[in-house]
Amino acid sequence: MSASTTLMFCWLALAVLSVTSVQLGNAGATLLMAGAVLLAALGKAWLIADGFMELRHAPRMWRWLLLGWPVAMAAGVLLTLQFSS
Amino acid sequence: MSTSLEPVASPVRHLPGDLAMWFFILAELTVFALLILTFAVAQALQPQLFHDGRQLLDSSTGLALTLSLLTSGLFAALAQEQVRQARPRRGAWLLLAALLSASVYVLLKLGEYSHLAGAGLGMEHNTFFTLYWILTGFHFVHVLLGLFILGWLAERCRRRVYGPGNCSALESGVLYWHMVDLVWVLLFPLVYVLN
Repeated sequence: MSASTTLMFCWLALAVLSVTSVQLGNAGATLLMAGAVLLAALGKAWLIADGFMELRHAPRMWRWLLLGWPVAMAAGVLLTLQFSS
Repeated sequence: MSTSLEPVASPVRHLPGDLAMWFFILAELTVFALLILTFAVAQALQPQLFHDGRQLLDSSTGLALTLSLLTSGLFAALAQEQVRQARPRRGAWLLLAALLSASVYVLLKLGEYSHLAGAGLGMEHNTFFTLYWILTGFHFVHVLLGLFILGWLAERCRRRVYGPGNCSALESGVLYWHMVDLVWVLLFPLVYVLN
């Protein structure tokens, strides 16, 4: 598969995850739904980091630093939601 | 006795762009992390206020903003691929497409800001809107800088400054733009979607 085709698949997956996250958000206000929305956001962040930013073939430290950021953000948000619920 | 070992093929790991850009991206992500966590903690302290505030935002506008940014990111990544294949002119056109797609984001966001300000939902309205304006406004400034960078890169590609062996500066500019995307995919659910 050419690099351009891979990029287009990444974009398609990003678009599907974006629409899905809005539908999940409208489906209910439970912690489970919030977790699903954040999981979709993590999937998008992974597609951007590994696909668009080409971190899949980058030195591991940089890849994990960039992938760690959305994980830390999602975990932090989920934790605060847990306390508020 | 032969003791030769077959060399183990290991993939060459390569970091695109300049190292300085990666440190800049880390610094930016740290600042955004503080803002995002501040928003999340404030939401935990005033859940009803944030729920009501979010109801005043249009999630379909948020989705359109997301799609325009992601499409712009795709065009920028495709432009980089074209330059690597010694087609800088095609790269320039794709960067212009990225610029146009990002302009849709800017127009939609300005429309949203104008609507909210007109409805009296400014920065001083309540905690939700204070943090909404700070968080999205800070990101918006990054988008505006990104527009300038995309335009500059397009012009440099048009003049064939970049090529397969000389595109580190282009990669750095495109990386900045992807960082703007990366931040938005976390901001979007936090500000528009989560209940």
